[in-house]
Amino acid sequence: MPPKPRKPPPRRTDTKKRNLLIAGAGAVAVVAILVVVSVVVAGGGDSGTTTTSGASSSALFAGIPQDGTELGAKDAPVTFVQFEDLQCPICRSYQEDGFSQIVQDYVRPGKVRLQFAGIAILGQDSEKALRYALAAANQGKLWQYVAALYANQGEENSGWVTDDVLERLAEDVGLDWTQLQKDAASEEITRQMDATAAEAARLGVPGTPTFFVKVGDAQPYAVQPSSFSIDAFRPIFADALSQ
Amino acid sequence: MRAGLAVVAVAGIAVAGYLTYVHYRPDALICTSHGGCETVQESSYAELAGIPVALLGLIAWCAVLALVAWDSETARTLVAAIALGAAGFAIYLVTLQAFVIDAWCIWCLVNDLVLVPLLTILAVWRALRTADA
Repeated sequence: MPPKPRKPPPRRTDTKKRNLLIAGAGAVAVVAILVVVSVVVAGGGDSGTTTTSGASSSALFAGIPQDGTELGAKDAPVTFVQFEDLQCPICRSYQEDGFSQIVQDYVRPGKVRLQFAGIAILGQDSEKALRYALAAANQGKLWQYVAALYANQGEENSGWVTDDVLERLAEDVGLDWTQLQKDAASEEITRQMDATAAEAARLGVPGTPTFFVKVGDAQPYAVQPSSFSIDAFRPIFADALSQ
Repeated sequence: MRAGLAVVAVAGIAVAGYLTYVHYRPDALICTSHGGCETVQESSYAELAGIPVALLGLIAWCAVLALVAWDSETARTLVAAIALGAAGFAIYLVTLQAFVIDAWCIWCLVNDLVLVPLLTILAVWRALRTADA
């Protein structure tokens, strides 16, 4: 009986190519898992319509005088000017990080007065949100409304600033919705927005958030904290308060 | 070709390193009228199970550089595998920027549209060429 023909051993180059193919398939499988995790985790957690109660911001600002766009005692020696866009996620980071402590440690004791300098640089949602925030100042609740807007901030220019959202947040912080709508559409609000935009241009504000410190009636000067933690702001205020 | 891969990996480490830095230090960014990186970096897609995507990229680029330095047959295969995986993930990230986040991050695009494709071409070509040898 003739011996069975032996199968030829696989060529080395074939083995190499097969290894490469297996590695490539493995990589594709890993990426597929990563994409699924990303879509499930991020997509599911980013509705952009989270709600917040006005209670937490109301407690933060309770008892602190508000005058138009300013928060804090009129005779505070230092004014801290915050150029912000309500759609800006970095401004929201500031709001979530050091802002509350600044209010507690510096504004409430009357050392620092905050000035909201709202500018609409990112798009239509910025402008609409800003109009309503400035209108809330007429009812003495700009800071509560701004906090509520940041807490409910959606994706940039996705149309998240809807009348429904604005009305719900107005109710949360105790604003008269009908009056708010009327004020938001007024010429006075347009004039205020134009004035702040002109001031931002004059000061060379590159974007948001940008901070300026004003000691008494002196010219404001720009400051850049190294982070948004309260510890990064303390030397800035200490320096201003010592002048 | 090996030197080219090393150069691409170093560039990738620089870009992913910067993006990782700004992820942990968002105050290093400001929102400008051009939109862009801050939106992408602050979006919910910037992290994957709590790990910044930029950090995953940085780790991958460091692995590529280490494997290029090692330069064995296994290392060449692994670099090609990482490159193919990175290419697939880069396509996903660019799609996210275009259709979901609706904002472009220039440094992410440099990584996804320039460095990763260069890495893929060089790594796969190198692995195939040595396989044919």
